[in-house]
Amino acid sequence: MKRIIFILLSNPLSLLGLFLVTLVIILAIFADFIAPFPEHRGAVVDFVNFNKAPEWPYIMGTDLVGRDIFSRIIYAYRISLLLGVFVLSIAVPIGVTMGLIAGYMGGKTEYILMRITDVFLSIPPLVLAMSIMGLLEPTLINGMLAVTVMWWPWYTRLVYNIARSEKEEGYVLAAEIIGASKTHIIFREILPNCLPAIVTKMTLDFGFVILIASSLSFLGLGVQPPTPDLGSMVAGGATYLPDSWWLTVFPGLAILVAVFGFNLVGDALRDVLGAD
Amino acid sequence: MNKLSKLIIAGLMTASSLTMGALSVNAETVLRLDEVAVGELDPAKASDYADSILMFNMYDTLILPKQGGPGHVAHLASSWETDGASYTFTLRDDVKFQSGNAFTAEDVVFSFERTKALGAGLSYLFGDIESVVAIDANTVKFTLARAYAPFVASLVRLPILDKKLVMANLGDGEGEMKDWGQAFLSGNSAGTGAYSVVSHNPQEETVMAKSSSYFAAMNAAAPDTVRLRYGLEAATVRTLIAQGQHDISSQWLPPEVMKALVNDGAQLFKEAGTGAFYFKMNTTKAPLDDVNCRLALANAFDYETAVKMIAVTDDVAQGSAATGAIPVGMFGANPASNTSSQNMEAAKQYLADCKYDAAEMDIEISWIAEVPLEERFALLMQSNFTQLGIASHIKKLPWALFAEQVSKAENTPHISQLFVNAVTGDPDTLLYGMYHSSVPGTWQSPEHLNDAEVDKWLEAGRAGTNDAEREAAYSALNKRLLAIAPTIYGFDRQSVFVASSRVSAPALTDPSKAFGLDGMGFSFRLMEMSE
Repeated sequence: MKRIIFILLSNPLSLLGLFLVTLVIILAIFADFIAPFPEHRGAVVDFVNFNKAPEWPYIMGTDLVGRDIFSRIIYAYRISLLLGVFVLSIAVPIGVTMGLIAGYMGGKTEYILMRITDVFLSIPPLVLAMSIMGLLEPTLINGMLAVTVMWWPWYTRLVYNIARSEKEEGYVLAAEIIGASKTHIIFREILPNCLPAIVTKMTLDFGFVILIASSLSFLGLGVQPPTPDLGSMVAGGATYLPDSWWLTVFPGLAILVAVFGFNLVGDALRDVLGAD
Repeated sequence: MNKLSKLIIAGLMTASSLTMGALSVNAETVLRLDEVAVGELDPAKASDYADSILMFNMYDTLILPKQGGPGHVAHLASSWETDGASYTFTLRDDVKFQSGNAFTAEDVVFSFERTKALGAGLSYLFGDIESVVAIDANTVKFTLARAYAPFVASLVRLPILDKKLVMANLGDGEGEMKDWGQAFLSGNSAGTGAYSVVSHNPQEETVMAKSSSYFAAMNAAAPDTVRLRYGLEAATVRTLIAQGQHDISSQWLPPEVMKALVNDGAQLFKEAGTGAFYFKMNTTKAPLDDVNCRLALANAFDYETAVKMIAVTDDVAQGSAATGAIPVGMFGANPASNTSSQNMEAAKQYLADCKYDAAEMDIEISWIAEVPLEERFALLMQSNFTQLGIASHIKKLPWALFAEQVSKAENTPHISQLFVNAVTGDPDTLLYGMYHSSVPGTWQSPEHLNDAEVDKWLEAGRAGTNDAEREAAYSALNKRLLAIAPTIYGFDRQSVFVASSRVSAPALTDPSKAFGLDGMGFSFRLMEMSE
């Protein structure tokens, strides 16, 4: 553990990643205390201060109904992180379990599970999410579900490959010889050896989930107004480019910071954990 | 650089400037503008602004609105007379269609019958016409089933088609008239208009070319080619105009973008109001089927802020404060000083009388994706309703999807935001299509209102034989509409467009040349290109 921390801290890029991720998480958790105008996350309009360029106290300017963009970005981070946690905490267990079973059991089980996975993988992720959102009402929960549905197959594919090679390893054969149950072998023997790869992918994916969710709301299919969301803030502001640039640039940068941060941390973890 | 090379360069520059000078004399002028998709080319199906622009340029009508004042002047007709129950028009005998066919009374009869048969677009305007008969080649007689005061005004929406050309191009269909030429007319023009269609893609662009032999007045510097593009993003239009690659914006640009372009040196075109901006409530859907709920929302709306939001410059705005259902200047309008205002106390009282529980309400506020300004009105409404303790959610709908959804009451959102115009300049055409219970659901009528008293006054306004009778009917109608609040009357509108300095359009800048009819200011033949 000490070695891991040492490697992480000795690489400037990892440090930057850790800093950005920590910053995003702190902003999201303590939004109520940090945001200068917490009430601006909801159905508030202030037409006296609308469309203002960055100036004190609106350090990132105001939007077209007079809401502070900085406050809305902070609350949008909360939604983004929530979405990331929700999507991964459902997609990863499903994907990993299917991958482990398919990889270890082989035969018909493998065939059926992996063909289902292939079907999902064959549809471009954004198109799949958009079709799901087309069927459902565009709400936060449905947005989460749509992204989750497109996310689990990647874990199945990843874990399946590892499990297939691991099941030939001596320690698995030893466990089989002493009569350990299949559940024990899958979850207690093989799974721990897949963890580095899973954790690395999860960290990398956190950024991508935020990006995909932003793309969905950019298209008007995700979180609905007045709930702040980075994608819909970019979409709404695009109409007013290049004059009211702050409407688009700051939410866009906010997406960049979050995705970049999680990617750097993911890369660092890959180096540390030796997962590829 | 030696002397020789300097001489060569100077010589080349002189030669190129001479060539360019010569080119600019003969250069074709192109007018580029944009509107919201879809551009409907078939004049019998035309209903919205883009369709009107196409119709007024490719086709002509028997009469035209008088420029700079009320009333109408003869156009394809040379004169007309009436005995109250029938109207006889004498037609010009020197007009030819773009195809070269001569214009006759048969074409008028055919155009009317086709409009009635298709029953689309603004065909409801002609519901009270009993018959149209060609007396001879240059005389046509319209007989009315009952008194219909706005009849003459409605003729600005009866474009005359080339019967011979359409009959030669009938598509598949049943009966003698097959498809009435719908397939042909959805991609071709068959009128007497100053412009003819070169290419047409209803989602992308219509290209029009100036006709060489137009029968009426045409500015010598009118654009040779017009490119009307559909569905451009506001940011795209803003950049294109700033770079000199676009000439006239649609009226749907947000005021901030217009302001930025004016600061860059662009000019503003205006088309004074024959319409208003309405927040239409679906009166068939709970909780808005209860009049008290509707009145609560109408009282909670912040009218003052709405008007502030539409200012473009210090002296030009996209509208003025509303006084009721009928825009100031029309029959039955309330005085201009009698503006609507927010009244939260009254709103709370109405809400208390509503049979539905406010805590369980979730109002769907829609906005048209192509009109970004509407999102702000949606947020304003959401904020106003929140103050009242009513939850709401906002839904963005593309125009084409919205227009399809509103045909059924159950698919229509609780609140729809719409700019509606008197399509003939008469209040009948603003309100009849919107509120009469016999009119099927269209984008004009997301209220799906069914009120006997409203129907009665609408019919009285239509049948009124003189101005006083009509004024009384529309006043009563205005009062009734405010009492049952099917709509939140946002503001009386004025269409504002941003234009480059290359183009001048007297009908859109000089009130004495304005037509008082939405879209007609875009008669390209009256515009002038400066390059």
